Amino acid sequence: MISFDRFTLDNGLRVIVHNDPSTPLVSVNLLYNVGSKHEDSNRTGFAHLFEHLMFGGSVNVPSYDDPIERASGENNAFTSSDITNYYITLPKQNIETAFWLESDRMLSLAFSQQSLDVQKSVVVEEFNQRYLNQPYGDVWLLLRPLAYKVHPYRWPTIGKEPAHITDATLDEVKAFFFKHYAPNNAILCVAGDCSVAQIEELANKWFGSIPRRNLSPMVLPKEPAQEAQRRLEVKRNVPFDSIYIAYHMCHKLHPDYATTDLISDILANGKSSRLFQSLVKRQNLFSSIDAFITGDIDEGLFVITGRPADGVNLLQAEEAIYSELGSLVDELVENYELHKVLNRFESTFTFGLTSTTEKAMNLCYNELLGDADLLNRTVEIYRRISPQDIQRVARSLFRKENSSVLHYYAEQDRQ
Amino acid sequence: MINRTIAPPIYLTDGINFPKPSCIELPNGSKLLIINEGDVDVCRLDIIFNAGSRYQQRKLVAMGTMSLMAEGTASKSSQEISEYFDFWGSFIGISADKDFAKVTAYSLTKYLPQTLQMLEEVVKQPSFPETELDVWKRRGKQTLTVEMDKTSTLARMEFFKTIFGSEHPYGAFAVPSDYDGLSHIDMANYHKSHIGSQGATIILSGKLSDGEINAVTKHFGETNWGSSNVNQGNCFGNIELGTKQLFVPKQGALQSAIRVGRELFNRSHPDYPDLAVANTILGGYFGSRLMKNIREDKGYTYGIGSYLLTFRDGGAFIISTDVGAGYTQQTLQEVRNELNRLISEPVPDDELDRVRSYLLGEALRSLNGPFAIADNIMSLHNFNNLDYDFYNRLMNSIRTITPQRIMEVATKWLSPETLVECVAGAENPF
Repeated sequence: MISFDRFTLDNGLRVIVHNDPSTPLVSVNLLYNVGSKHEDSNRTGFAHLFEHLMFGGSVNVPSYDDPIERASGENNAFTSSDITNYYITLPKQNIETAFWLESDRMLSLAFSQQSLDVQKSVVVEEFNQRYLNQPYGDVWLLLRPLAYKVHPYRWPTIGKEPAHITDATLDEVKAFFFKHYAPNNAILCVAGDCSVAQIEELANKWFGSIPRRNLSPMVLPKEPAQEAQRRLEVKRNVPFDSIYIAYHMCHKLHPDYATTDLISDILANGKSSRLFQSLVKRQNLFSSIDAFITGDIDEGLFVITGRPADGVNLLQAEEAIYSELGSLVDELVENYELHKVLNRFESTFTFGLTSTTEKAMNLCYNELLGDADLLNRTVEIYRRISPQDIQRVARSLFRKENSSVLHYYAEQDRQ
Repeated sequence: MINRTIAPPIYLTDGINFPKPSCIELPNGSKLLIINEGDVDVCRLDIIFNAGSRYQQRKLVAMGTMSLMAEGTASKSSQEISEYFDFWGSFIGISADKDFAKVTAYSLTKYLPQTLQMLEEVVKQPSFPETELDVWKRRGKQTLTVEMDKTSTLARMEFFKTIFGSEHPYGAFAVPSDYDGLSHIDMANYHKSHIGSQGATIILSGKLSDGEINAVTKHFGETNWGSSNVNQGNCFGNIELGTKQLFVPKQGALQSAIRVGRELFNRSHPDYPDLAVANTILGGYFGSRLMKNIREDKGYTYGIGSYLLTFRDGGAFIISTDVGAGYTQQTLQEVRNELNRLISEPVPDDELDRVRSYLLGEALRSLNGPFAIADNIMSLHNFNNLDYDFYNRLMNSIRTITPQRIMEVATKWLSPETLVECVAGAENPF
C-alpha cells in the first residue's frame, strides 16, 4: 500500500506527495503529458529531441545539470510514445533546488541555437547507436509502420529517420514547448521524507506563478480494425533469421488490459513459461523466444519475437508459435498456472516499487491514467482474472487478420 | 515575485554512515552477513563462491556450471525447478564473473522458506543433464554470435586481450566454437571442486526477522557441504602488454566503438580513492569533462564515460564511447587532450566542489535501500576482503583531495602515452 496526498495548484499543476521517512533522499518526478504520439508525422522524434533540449538551460538558469550536481543530486529523463518523464534524486535538505530548476524550465527554456545544433547531432548518434548500428536494431522501424497505418504509434520514439531530427528548427522547438509544456499538462510527485505542507508551500512558491497555457487537446486518429494479415520480409547483415509477430490489443484503461498482460506472462514470463518450455526446451525449435505487450495508453501491440534454432526456417517457426497460441484459444488455463503467473506478477510488481524513484514515477503515471490510487489496486485487479477471461481475450487477440508478421532474414553471403 | 536567477541554498551532506552488517560464522564455516533494512516485505540472498572463470581449466566451464545448476537435480527436472520458483514468485540468478561465482535469490519475505527449500537442492545437488547442456550450448552459441556482431563487443574484447594478454584470466574471452565439446562431466567436476560451504560467503538483505536468518542457517549453514576454498593465490602469470593502437575492422559500421585505457590496480591500492575522484572529473558523471567536450560541445556521441574497473587481483582504467564513424580521429584526439589537461592543469576549485558534492550524493544513493547496501557489501567482500575502512578512505579523498594531488595521480596513472587505444569500426583511424 503506497499512501499519498494530492492537490492541484490554481494553474492546473497536479501534485502528489508520498511520505517515506526511511530514506535521507527525496525523489522529484515530473511527468509531461506529451510523447511521440503527439508529433507531426513529418517531424517524428521531436518529443525525444525536445527532452534533450530540456537540459540545455532555461530562461533564468543557464545550466540545469550543474546545480543538480552541486546539490549532490542525480537526474535523468525518458520519452515514450505517450509521455515525457523527468526525475531527480537528491538529499532531502536540497529539495528546493529541484523545485527551482524544474519550475524554471516549465516557465520557459533558453532556446539556444547552439544547444539545438549539438543535441540534434547527439540524438542522431543515439539513433545510430541504438537502432542502426546494432544487429536487429531497426526492427521497430519496420514493425510499427506494418502494424499501424493511421495512429502515430506507427513511428518509434526515436523517430522515423535521422533526417526528421536534423531538419528541426528553433521555431518548431518553441512552438512545441508552448503547445505541450504547461502546468496544466503535467503531474509532479515528490517521494521521500517530506510533509504535504512543505511540498504545498514549495509548489506554490516555485510553480504557482507559471501561467496556465491554452492547450488545444489533440484528437489522435484511431487505428481502424485490421482486416487482413500483413507480412513483410527483409534481409539484413545479421547472423541469424528472426521472426516478429504483432497483434493489435486493447488500450490501457480497457477492462481486458490486465488479462492481455497476463497472457503475455503465461506465454513468456519466466523459465517455466509456455513458449520457452515448449519451443526452446522440448522441441528445440527456437534459441530464444519472448512475448510482451508494448504497454501503451492507446491501443497497443502484443508482440511475439523469436530466433529459430539452426536448421529451422521462419515458416516452420511461425507455425510453431501459432500452435502454442492455439492452445490458449482452445483450452482453459489450469488454475495452478493462473495462480503461478499471478504470484509472479505480484512479486515483480512489489519489487518494482522499492525505491522512492520508482514510487514517484508510478504515482505520476497512474494519476495520468486517471487516478494515482490505481497503483494500489493493480494487484487486486489482476487477481480477479479468471481462466475464462484468458480464453475470451486470447480468442479476440490471436486472429490471423489481426496480425502483422515480420520475417527478418540473415543475408546468406555474409563474410 | 521570486527571483528565479538566485539558486536556493545548498546544504552539503556531512555524516554518511556506511552500515556494517552483522556477521555470523555459521556452524559449517560459511560466513553470513546480515543487512536488515527496508520497509517492503522482500528479501535477497546471495551466496558467493571462489569459483569465477579464473579457476576454470577450459573456457566457459565456470559459467556453464553456474548456468546449469538450476537445470536439473538428483530428484527434480529443469521444468519442475523453474515451475517451483516461478510459482513462489522468486527470481533466481546464478552466474560467474572472472573471480567469483554467485547464486542470488530474490523472494517475497513471506515465501523465503519455500524459495530456500528448492534453492538448497539446486546449489548442493545439481545433476547437469545432457539434454539441458545441449540446450544451453545451442542458445549460448547463438547469443555470443550476435554479441560478436557488435562493434562495442569487438572493441571491448580486443581491449582487454591487449591490456592483460589473451591467456590471462582477465583478458580471456570465449568465442562461439568454445561451446563445442563441453561435456556435462566438465560441469559436474567443476561443481564438485568449487561450489561448497567451505570458503563461501552468504549475504542476506531486506526486511528480516530471526525466522529468515534461522531458515538460511538451516539450509546452508549447518552441515559442511563441500569446498569452494580453492587456491586463492595469484593463479596467473605476468601481464604481457601488446600493441598500443589496435583496429578491428567491421564493414559498414555507422559508428566506431572506442576503448582507451590500461591495466591497473584493485580497490585496495593506496592510490585508488584519489584516482576514483580524478576519474569522476574526467568521465565519471554526466557533467564530466569527456561528456561536456565530446557529447555536449561537439555532439560526436550519445555518451562517453571513463571507469575504474576492479577485479580481485587487479583492475583496469577504461574510457568507452561509440561515435559517428566520421568523428573517430577527432574523438581520439580530444580524449588525449582531456587526459593531458587533467595531468597538466590544476582542477578549478569550482569544478572540484561540484564533483565532491556529486560524489557525496552518489555515496548516499549507493546506500539507499537494503539491496543497494548488499551490493556495496558484496563489492567490499569481493574486492577489499571486507575492509570496512575502504569507505572511510574514499570519503576522506572526496572531502580533502587537492588539485595538486589530482594532477599527481593522473600523471602517475593516466598519461596518454601509456594507454592502449582500441577502435572497432569501418575505417582504420591509425
